[in-house]
Amino acid sequence: MACSLYIHIPFCLRKCAYCDFLSVPFDKGISVRYVKALIKEIVLRAEDLNASGGPSPLRTIYIGGGTPTLLSNESLKEIFKTIRECFGFSAGAEITIEANPGTLDGSKMEAIVLAGVNRLSLGVQSLDDAELAALGRIHTGDDASRAAALVKESGIENLSLDLIYGIPGQRLKGWRNTLKRALGLKPRHISAYELTPEPGTPLYESLRTGSLRLPGEDEVSDMFYLAVDELESAGLLHYEISNYAYPGYECRHNLNYWRRGEYIGAGAGAHSFIGERRIKNTEDVFNYIELLSSGSLPFDELEEVRKEEAVKEFIFLGLRTGEGIDTRLLKGNASGLINASRALIEGGFMELRGDCLRLTKRGTALYSSVIVELFRAIGLD
Amino acid sequence: MEKKPIPAERDTSPKRIRNFSIIAHIDHGKSTLADRLLERTGAVSRSKMTEQMLDSMDLERERGITIKAHAVRLDYRAEDGSDYILNLIDTPGHVDFSYEVSRSLASCEGALLLVDAAQGLQAQSFANAYLAIDNNLEIIPVINKIDLPSADPERVREQIENALPLKGSEILLTSAKEGTGINEIIEAIVARIPPPSGRDENPLKALIFDSWFDNYRGVVVLVRVFDGIVRPGMKIRLMGSGKELDVAEVGYFRPKISPAEALSSGEVGYVIAGIKTITDTKVGDTITNAARPASEPCPGYKEVKPMVFCGLYPTETGQFEALKDAVEKLRLNDSSFSYEPETSLALGFGFRCGFLGLLHMDIIRERLEREFRLSLICTPPTVTYKVTGHKGDVSLIHNPNLLSGKTISVEEPYVRAVIFVPQTFVGPVLDLCQQKRGAQTEFNFISADRIMLAYELPLGEILWDFFDKLKSVTKGYASLDYEFIGWREGDVVRLDILLNGEPVDALSLIVHRDKAYHKGRQVVDKLREVIPRQLFEVVIQAAIGGKVIARQSVKAMRKDVIAKCYGGDITRKRKLLEKQREGKKRMKQVGRIDIPQEAFLAALSTEG
Repeated sequence: MACSLYIHIPFCLRKCAYCDFLSVPFDKGISVRYVKALIKEIVLRAEDLNASGGPSPLRTIYIGGGTPTLLSNESLKEIFKTIRECFGFSAGAEITIEANPGTLDGSKMEAIVLAGVNRLSLGVQSLDDAELAALGRIHTGDDASRAAALVKESGIENLSLDLIYGIPGQRLKGWRNTLKRALGLKPRHISAYELTPEPGTPLYESLRTGSLRLPGEDEVSDMFYLAVDELESAGLLHYEISNYAYPGYECRHNLNYWRRGEYIGAGAGAHSFIGERRIKNTEDVFNYIELLSSGSLPFDELEEVRKEEAVKEFIFLGLRTGEGIDTRLLKGNASGLINASRALIEGGFMELRGDCLRLTKRGTALYSSVIVELFRAIGLD
Repeated sequence: MEKKPIPAERDTSPKRIRNFSIIAHIDHGKSTLADRLLERTGAVSRSKMTEQMLDSMDLERERGITIKAHAVRLDYRAEDGSDYILNLIDTPGHVDFSYEVSRSLASCEGALLLVDAAQGLQAQSFANAYLAIDNNLEIIPVINKIDLPSADPERVREQIENALPLKGSEILLTSAKEGTGINEIIEAIVARIPPPSGRDENPLKALIFDSWFDNYRGVVVLVRVFDGIVRPGMKIRLMGSGKELDVAEVGYFRPKISPAEALSSGEVGYVIAGIKTITDTKVGDTITNAARPASEPCPGYKEVKPMVFCGLYPTETGQFEALKDAVEKLRLNDSSFSYEPETSLALGFGFRCGFLGLLHMDIIRERLEREFRLSLICTPPTVTYKVTGHKGDVSLIHNPNLLSGKTISVEEPYVRAVIFVPQTFVGPVLDLCQQKRGAQTEFNFISADRIMLAYELPLGEILWDFFDKLKSVTKGYASLDYEFIGWREGDVVRLDILLNGEPVDALSLIVHRDKAYHKGRQVVDKLREVIPRQLFEVVIQAAIGGKVIARQSVKAMRKDVIAKCYGGDITRKRKLLEKQREGKKRMKQVGRIDIPQEAFLAALSTEG
């Protein structure tokens, strides 16, 4: 049963140098039309579930982007009103919104809180202004600190910070500073991602032409381990490859992805997973608006997940998490998986605790290589 | 349309026939000249002409060389008012295919020696011109590209006069690109090249100078008829193989295939006889009438032996059957390529394949990968060694792993190499030949600033990188030709490569003892560069007879890229992992180590 909803808001004031995620320049008129279409989609998607028992109250909602905080207070209010009417919220639902430190002010915070949001993910990325400039961010480190304070003051105590390491010009010492200062902002959750240059982004071009250079492989590796050490010793749990939280503050919305739970994604380019079917909405904002204005669902790609792929997903998603995978859930495939893991367990990349298989710290750092090796050993190709 | 009407019945008596080839260095304009000849004689109208009509395979076009010989018949009304048949027999342009060149030349009475007015005479054209002279061919020297600003026809004339027994006054000038001097060339072909001398009444004697497999027609054989007549319905015998066949069709290429009633003495054309495999129709063999055979075959028939060997293995073990199928099919089309199944501890089931040379090897490998969509591992190429064992038993080995310590002697193949080089670069060329264990046999000036060198060298030394080195030390101004001259004893050893302590048989090499340490270090360094970091450390060692002489290691990976999660886009994640898995599939897993394809050629790309 899908109890998670993701809403995509594909607008940004300016595209960050490293971003290849779906976003378009913010335009007030287009955003109004988009929100209208989005509301229509939420209604249609809820109706669509009627055949299979109707929509159930949501346990997690995640408004991501783009920059959702670019929407007017009025739009935010309307979106939440629609969700509440169509789905309803279950008690203690986790309701997250992503925010850019450069677009947050007192009145926006007030609207967010009024809408019912209880978790805010702040795109801090770095607290070093030179690094922020290299990333093409629109805010400074101080802006981020002020925004974090503002969130706390508004009464949302479940604050998450997004951080990036491996930035051109960044050194281990700078990363340590960012981590320490970030902890000082009293978040309940931190996501620490490695910067990955995607083809087609300005960052990728700058690296290609040599005007920017990434830190060395070993240094980036040190940064990963530093984050693990610093954050764990501050009391956070490394509960997923790139995610850390104080106990009880793990992001339930994202955990649902890793556990292969169902979810509904609304908005341009959003992804859904319902009934072993992965759906992708059209990425084209105008096409999205058009389809919904004619009353059609904005689906672009539909994929039935085959049995073998489902097993693969179960493994590669589950092994992202600190809890790992419960091999008993694999039934017939369980012993095959455990046997295939032997060499990796011996090599110190994985560990088996009872029926639970998980990656060690070293294995986590080598996540994709370990998964590929594991798939090869199982014969999943 | 420039096409002239072709009379229905033409005079095919020998006096109206001229058979010729074009000898030229790569890029000296052979294909362009051939196009002009086709165009000027009306065989192809200009508008219909695709660039470089005679080269038909994509690979050939990409490499700018002609792999398979072709023949085209041109009809020409000469200035004397008579009609002539001109048979242009195309020749391959690379030293790997020198036997095919020799058979093409043996099918002609004359040859155009085409030399670039700026580049001058090159080693291979020189060698082929000599081959033509030895075959009593009339040579018409032609200097091409006289339109180039850097053209220096006078100097090239001097080189031709000094290097070859030809007179400067015989030389014609042309720009095939601009179409100047073409008529003079065609008239010279008619006037200077002697007509064929055979007789229709004699027993049939036709030389096979090319053959290929056609999916619809079976084997198509190109022949030069020296004596007698061949026609459909006739039972023919191949004098070398003894095989007897019924002729189904004969004809010419003009350049389109056009069947004829017969091919008579002096003519050049094709014969189709329902032949299923090309091994029955070897280049150099003679076709005769089974009912009335010739007493002697055409001279010069020999079985071409592969000179270079390597192991070819499918990257994915499940692909062995597909590879088997592919090599069998290719062999139908190329009898100079050989294969036999072999097993490698590291690579599993594959084939030990023999080639005429490295270029031939590259072409076959590329065709297997491209036409049959295979992903292949190619082991380091080796020459054949002649090994004498303790009991006096002699064997030829094509695989380094078959060389053990228990031998009395090992002989390696030697070649005589001819190098043409401008005087400015002669120093580095002498050094290079020295370094490759060469012995100088000739040093001659062919013009004030150009030298011809001859060396005797081990083929194994020039196989790897000699030509590339030669090009780089002479800025591309040197040219090379070589021929096999025999076996000589050599002090060679087997260099083994070990990964994490396990020997990888597919990486073994045979090297000269004096160079073994140097080579071992280089291969190990190169492997360290090309083997990617893995979950475990990889120790690379080179050893001779169990003694380790070089060591390197590839440190274990510490971390993968940990990318941001993109909301619920699980498909993207799965695809990223699949892409990584695909990348690994292109590598060969030996033990727990992933070895990329290029690692197996690491020995090739090292110095020395």
